[in-house]
Amino acid sequence: MTGTSRGVPLAARLPRGPRLDYMSPDAVRSSLGKSLDRSHVVILCSGLLLAFIQAAMIPRGGPVPPYLWMFPVVVLSYFGAGVRAWHLRPSNHLGMIMVYGGFAVFLGGLVSADNAVLATAGGIGATLVLSVMVHLLHAFPSGRVHGRISKTTVAAAYVNSLLLQAPGYLFVHDGPAPALFIVENSMVSQTAQLMQSLLGAAIMAATAFVLVRRLRQADGPRRRSLAPLYAYGAFAVLFVPLGANVLAPLLNMTPEGLMATQLVVVGGIPLAFAHGILRGGFAKTGELEELGSWLSSAGGTRPALAAALSRALGDPSLALSFWVPRHGVFVTGDGDIVAPAAPQPDRGTVKVTVEGRTVGAINYDSSLIAEPELVRTAGQVVAIAVDRERLTAELRESHGALQRSRERLVDAADRERRRIAQDLHDGLQMHLVLLALEAQKLANAAGTDPGTSARATQLRHGIDSAAADLRQLVHAVMPAALIERGLSAAAEDLADRLPIPTTLELDLAGQNLPSAVESTAYFVLAEALTNAVKHSQASSVRVRIVAAGGWLLLDVTDDGVGRAGLHGGTGLRGIADRADVMGGTFTLASRPDEGTKIVVELPCG
Amino acid sequence: MRVVIGEDETLLRHGLTLVLEDGGFEVVAAAKDAQELGAAVAEHLPDLVITDIRMPPSHSDEGLVAALAIRRQHPDMAVVVLSQHMQRRYASELLAASNGKVGYLLKQRIADVETFLADLHEVAAGGTALDPDVVALMVARAKRSDGAVRNLTPRQQEVLALMAEGRSNARIAAELFLSEKAVVQHTSRIYDSLNLTLDGDSHRRVLAVMRYLSHS
Repeated sequence: MTGTSRGVPLAARLPRGPRLDYMSPDAVRSSLGKSLDRSHVVILCSGLLLAFIQAAMIPRGGPVPPYLWMFPVVVLSYFGAGVRAWHLRPSNHLGMIMVYGGFAVFLGGLVSADNAVLATAGGIGATLVLSVMVHLLHAFPSGRVHGRISKTTVAAAYVNSLLLQAPGYLFVHDGPAPALFIVENSMVSQTAQLMQSLLGAAIMAATAFVLVRRLRQADGPRRRSLAPLYAYGAFAVLFVPLGANVLAPLLNMTPEGLMATQLVVVGGIPLAFAHGILRGGFAKTGELEELGSWLSSAGGTRPALAAALSRALGDPSLALSFWVPRHGVFVTGDGDIVAPAAPQPDRGTVKVTVEGRTVGAINYDSSLIAEPELVRTAGQVVAIAVDRERLTAELRESHGALQRSRERLVDAADRERRRIAQDLHDGLQMHLVLLALEAQKLANAAGTDPGTSARATQLRHGIDSAAADLRQLVHAVMPAALIERGLSAAAEDLADRLPIPTTLELDLAGQNLPSAVESTAYFVLAEALTNAVKHSQASSVRVRIVAAGGWLLLDVTDDGVGRAGLHGGTGLRGIADRADVMGGTFTLASRPDEGTKIVVELPCG
Repeated sequence: MRVVIGEDETLLRHGLTLVLEDGGFEVVAAAKDAQELGAAVAEHLPDLVITDIRMPPSHSDEGLVAALAIRRQHPDMAVVVLSQHMQRRYASELLAASNGKVGYLLKQRIADVETFLADLHEVAAGGTALDPDVVALMVARAKRSDGAVRNLTPRQQEVLALMAEGRSNARIAAELFLSEKAVVQHTSRIYDSLNLTLDGDSHRRVLAVMRYLSHS
């Protein structure tokens, strides 16, 4: 067991039925995947053919030990389970190893064939199935053999069952492969047999060591899932070679009975392991490993991370969210807060943690993925990347919150300005009309002496002039045109009052702009025009206001001296700030003697 | 003369009513919003309607909208629109919808009772009354973009503004302390400069001048 496989998955149950094939939904299934399907069909047919051949070779007539009939069944069990596992977990090698096992069983069954060539082949591969079982044990659940001990052990197992088997037929007269007999040499053959037994014991010891270590490193649910499989596998590997010498005498079994038992034990192996990777929770090991390798290669960018998880788990509806501890909320990759949804029957959520700290959550279709452990495991594989993305999402969320708060402030300021303008209109402006009226009445009243009358008229003029000042003030706070008719009327009014000839091009297409956007646009325009009047020495100004595609564009271009900058105290800073607050953009082009062009875009969708 | 008022502010409604009644007008109804105004006009069919632009419920331009609707329904009814501020666009809309009998004045002008009442009479008699503020706005704008207006003498520009406000030659003469003959000379030179055809009708004169100013 190496470090790489430590993060490998816990028990998880996979969905049943046709949806099992979720790694390769038809919509995205590549031609390569279809080719794999066809090759699986071919392999399965080969398995069927081999089983048929094996059955056909059983001698007709005469007493036939019934266990011979079990060989083709065991061959089929390996092929069937292997192809099934291979098909459903294309990237997991266990299915392929089981198919090897099917060939090994077929070879082993040839020992009793009538045909000398076939019998010889059988003799060569008689114990191959033991190596395959050792291989399966070491490769479970990921399908790959990890670590030096495991690799050495598996290699040794194949050497043991192929090479050390050889002296048993090369130097034994009536050995399992008479066709290959060279010379009788019991010394060599017995030594080889001893070595085979010793090496076999060493292999079993190493295997036991590796499996026990894996079990110890696994956590509870995973251990409960691994232990029975390991126990069964180890028992099978021991039972086949030791059965004849130890168990049969012990249990007083007939050779036929022993053989049958051994075949049952061997034949159960692929079924158990296939069940293990398909149902027992080692499900997407291969996919998760791919996820891991994708992480190291792709760098795991935001949309890719969720997409990779979605692909690995086969759930297109899967959603990844990130934890923002400061606000105690989950946010999407874009920083939008994810509302805590009410528990839905077909949605499940698991948390992704790094060192016990929540970094994110995966929301998935629980009708598609029955076992949260699988999702949790996948989440753990990408946890570090999730944590990294979380920081980005947190930043986005924080930026989003800041932006929303600024927009609320602008909204509030806009409402406040409108309220003040309305209050002045309804209050002070009206009172000045009445006061002036009173003064004028006083001046006109019969019996008022001419001096008083003149002073009253003067008073009325004073009040009128105060009212004119107030009109200007109200106009500066929030122009009446903006309140009454919106941006286009207000822009027109601005242009009317400008001392430089101004052409105005308006295309608001009857759009109902939010009032804060209208106000911002108006004040941006007012500041840009003021700037042009004050600093540009322009002889004309062109204004273009266009609303399209959720954006309001303002373009103020003059033919003046240029040289406008953000730091000249020219009010351009204010324009940039106003645009920024609304989440808009500000661009300034003002080369010397080429005029000034100010473009502001505001989102208004 | 029978008048209907549209004004949402109670104090101003009363003030205006008093001014009108003191000036010999008969205020037959005083409406608080545009809807009431429409109903009152339909009921009383007054000679003159005076309305504020900004009224409930939305406090935007419903008074103006109501005024324009009244103009369409009762082309012979005189309409004067009052506002706290002047917009070139409103002036154009009101003039376009009329053949005289229209006024657009700042509310503050009410206080200058004599002039205000004179303007009302002018409008009721088929003339036009535009506030000096909005006319100044238009003349200033025309001066910026139109050489002909810019080339008028300051005195001619003053006369042009007063013509646009709807003043008769007699009133222009009184205002500028000129003889009526001098005013006629000024106006004919203005007409020549701006290529306008001479017209005695005061409203058509305003329209021609305003049209000129609007298009310049």
